[in-house]
Amino acid sequence: MTVVSLALNGRHVSADVEPRTHLADFIRDTQNLTGTHLGCEHGVCGACTVLVDGVPVRSCITFAVTCAGASVTTIEGLDDDETGAELRAAFTREHALQCGYCTPGMLISARDVVLRAEAPDEHAIRVAMSGNLCRCTGYVGIVRAIQSVIADRRARGIAAVTGAGRTALGPAGAGHGAVVAASAVQLGSGKTLIAAQAAAPEELADWKPQASFEKSFVVSYPIEKVWNLFSDTAEVASCLPGASLTGDTGARNVTGKMRIKVGPIAADFHGSAVIDREPATKSGTIEGSGRDPRSSSATRGLIRYRLLPQGADATKVELDVGYRLTGPLAQFSRSDLVNDIAGRMIEAFVQNIEARLSGVATNTATELNAGNLIFSVLLARIRAGLRRLFGRENH
Amino acid sequence: MKPVNFDFARPSDLPAAIALASREDAIVKFIAGGQSLGPMLNLRLVQPNLLVDITGIAELKRVEETPDALELGSCITHADIEDGRVPDVTGGAMRAVAAGIAYRAVRNRGTIGGSLAHADPSADWLSALAALGAQAIVRGAHKERQIPVDTLMTGVFECSLESGELLSGVEIPRLSKSARWGYYKHCRKTGELAHAIAAFLHDPDRSVCRAVIGATGSKPIVLSDASVLIGKGPDHALDRAAIERAMTGHGMTDPIEQQIHFVCLRRAVQQAYRP
Repeated sequence: MTVVSLALNGRHVSADVEPRTHLADFIRDTQNLTGTHLGCEHGVCGACTVLVDGVPVRSCITFAVTCAGASVTTIEGLDDDETGAELRAAFTREHALQCGYCTPGMLISARDVVLRAEAPDEHAIRVAMSGNLCRCTGYVGIVRAIQSVIADRRARGIAAVTGAGRTALGPAGAGHGAVVAASAVQLGSGKTLIAAQAAAPEELADWKPQASFEKSFVVSYPIEKVWNLFSDTAEVASCLPGASLTGDTGARNVTGKMRIKVGPIAADFHGSAVIDREPATKSGTIEGSGRDPRSSSATRGLIRYRLLPQGADATKVELDVGYRLTGPLAQFSRSDLVNDIAGRMIEAFVQNIEARLSGVATNTATELNAGNLIFSVLLARIRAGLRRLFGRENH
Repeated sequence: MKPVNFDFARPSDLPAAIALASREDAIVKFIAGGQSLGPMLNLRLVQPNLLVDITGIAELKRVEETPDALELGSCITHADIEDGRVPDVTGGAMRAVAAGIAYRAVRNRGTIGGSLAHADPSADWLSALAALGAQAIVRGAHKERQIPVDTLMTGVFECSLESGELLSGVEIPRLSKSARWGYYKHCRKTGELAHAIAAFLHDPDRSVCRAVIGATGSKPIVLSDASVLIGKGPDHALDRAAIERAMTGHGMTDPIEQQIHFVCLRRAVQQAYRP
């Protein structure tokens, strides 16, 4: 817990909160100011917009602790604000709200537009307000209300001010807080938690893939040699940095885990797989499932692979991957990003296979790669993990 | 939609921040404005043990202008650039890019360094600064090094920063008076992360003619000598076949993707040569 003190609507307030408490929860839960609304809680809808050091900020993706010492103004703090009062009258007159859920954020953003934009046309107002979503009005009344307040103020000789008068550099709200040292206690407890949650492998049951894709790569060795390597589960796993098998690696059913890191996303998938091989056609299937205890996300995947001779000295490996993902990470997926990650994984995988076939010991360290066992797990996680976020607007 | 319960530190200088990031007993993330990391934390895609707030470090808000370049600390925000609170050496190019990033409430906290280090293929600064020929300044425990922004990103969310390194700033070369700049991005909704980006810089006095195709789902495609792709006529027609070959060579094979990115590039070039 950390004591966060800041100026809220001109009043000094202070509360003992967890560092993960975002500014909106700080305002609503510790100060009982519930005019600030939470909509999407990941920076898309704008309902939670408040003023921090005089400029609009999304309070759901701004942690209270990062605003220590800042000046925060919520909708309640605009009661006596001249622009706020003019906007309230205009919103009423133009029917710029219906259910009112977006209105506190709308008014905060609208006030900023009124202060900063000298003479915006309708399009410019719509662009400037595009970070605040309203599902009732169709925006016509909101745009008209803002337009009328701007016209009125300019007629009274009140000019727009660049940046609403802000002079400080850096993120709004930052730069006031004192030095905070990390407390060692919490770090330790976080780690213990992960170890304690190590998940049991999931039973494989009937399931259908949510999505699928195909990939292929070429290994510069004859098909017999590559097939021999593919027939050895332990060998394949050793070519997959981040993958490790537990228990009997020669069995049809194997268990293992996969450590994955893509940028800031890190996860340990624990799971099991059933491996079938068809020597006659040099093909096989791997059907697996896994769970990341940190995110409680689970995935299932089915990989079909086939080896084809590519001339006398090379082998083409074709993969057909189908998967399904549930849990928090399922909120995302964007296929172009998955392709990039799959491409990088395969590149490293091929390097390791070729190194192994040439007799050189493989590097086992790097985290980004695909286990034969968990190949689909990783891909599914990444694919599902990325879509939603990147289909949306976060910067 | 609450993050995992992480620990928090706010050091006052760079060595302290770098020392925290070098810890091996924890997953440590730097946070500046948190406008990309915040949603990922709320969605629990990112589950750090320790968050290190770098906005209290004065050096990261530095602004140094020389005859040849402008150096910005990594905690300078998009709004700082948009509003002209920092000098501009790009003839307005950076102000225009900044003004088009997400929404004003995001620009008030989102930072130029955070955007680069986060390495989202669809974010604006990676493509724009790559085209402008900027350098990322990276500070580690023992040394400082520079990485050209056009090679900074290695893949989705990955850039060539090593563990324990912090992107401390960006150096942007001063464009000459005759420089031409165009930037076009395709978003289906205003402010969302782009589906396609194109940036184009022609600065004949410095012998630069560079085009960048971004939002590719991976690294931006850098065409370091774009002059060979542009017709000499008044319509500045592009060599579509050559550009498509470059796209295909970078793994962008979907004809629809190619079309969208090509149109963005054409519009960026037209914008640059607009009388």
